[in-house]
Amino acid sequence: MKLRILLADDHEIVRRGLCALLQKHDGWEVCGEASDGRQAIEMAKQLKPDVVILDIGMPNLNGLETTRQLLQHDPHFKIIVLTITDADQVIREALDAGARGFVLKSDAARDLVSAVEALQSKRMFFTPRVNDLVLRGFLDKGRAISRNEPPDLPVLTAREREVTQLLAEGKSSKEVASLLNLSTKTVETHRSNIMRKLGLHSIRDLVVYAIKNSIIQIQMPIPPSNATEIPVA
Amino acid sequence: MAVRILLVDDHPVVRQGLRTLLESRSHLEIVGEASDGVEALEKVASLKPDVVVLDVTMPRMNGIEACRLIQQRNPGREVLFVTQHDSPQMMREALAAGARGYVVKSNLARDLVEAVEAVSQHREFTALARNPHGQS
Repeated sequence: MKLRILLADDHEIVRRGLCALLQKHDGWEVCGEASDGRQAIEMAKQLKPDVVILDIGMPNLNGLETTRQLLQHDPHFKIIVLTITDADQVIREALDAGARGFVLKSDAARDLVSAVEALQSKRMFFTPRVNDLVLRGFLDKGRAISRNEPPDLPVLTAREREVTQLLAEGKSSKEVASLLNLSTKTVETHRSNIMRKLGLHSIRDLVVYAIKNSIIQIQMPIPPSNATEIPVA
Repeated sequence: MAVRILLVDDHPVVRQGLRTLLESRSHLEIVGEASDGVEALEKVASLKPDVVVLDVTMPRMNGIEACRLIQQRNPGREVLFVTQHDSPQMMREALAAGARGYVVKSNLARDLVEAVEAVSQHREFTALARNPHGQS
């Protein structure tokens, strides 16, 4: 029987590339493609894929929140997250969310097949950078326990994180309410709870918080060229 | 005769996606790939493609700079930008650097083949997500 993979990324060109990469492998098929987290959840519930590959930086519902919600629905989902960054914060969140694979998009051509193979054999796969972080985190945690320091606790509920992302993407309370099938009043309540819990005072503060915590990703300005040797014609 | 294309993007997965879209047409031929502007300049000089499909944001040398140098050193090669920057300002900058086309990555399944065909015939093709199909 074929290994069935669900793929979620907001860029069609990336999905095309990933599909081509995965379907070169005998015995694997991409059974569905989603362009945001919300669609991925619907499709995963319906298609019950063996492996789910999720981009972290998707609109409407990012890959981390999608991972949390999928595993809450069914803890047997095997999830690989794809990311453009290996920032400590993002790695920690992916591990906390329950992802079993963590692959950098820039290395996907090399690592994604290995990651799917690992999950297929009930193992985990993380880019080497993660292994260092996990070890460091483990050691730091040991030190924290020895000093009786409390662990970090998540501040926001899952629903509040969803609302945070949508507000930070520029949606109005009414639009958020419509997307989440809630009343505008409920969204307003979530919004004031979020602001209070995080100690924020404006939507601008919320956007900054969402960027800093990888809830949304922004398009960076292009870096200047730094080539030291430019080949001559 | 086939249109000879060089693909330039720092993400191999994106290059693979571009390849899949373009290779579906028999008259389009991928002659090479590069992962940054410096490598693109080398490959343009050696492979002499008809069309360079170029990303904007890349390490070592960004696409805008690479486009300027390609035009200086290899007149006659056409450059088509394929980018996630859905920005009129960036598009103007790209065209000022000598590009013939500019399309955003979110619309590639619709625009890429048509854009490559247009620029290979030295016609301008620009399409932002918010202003689709600005072919002229």
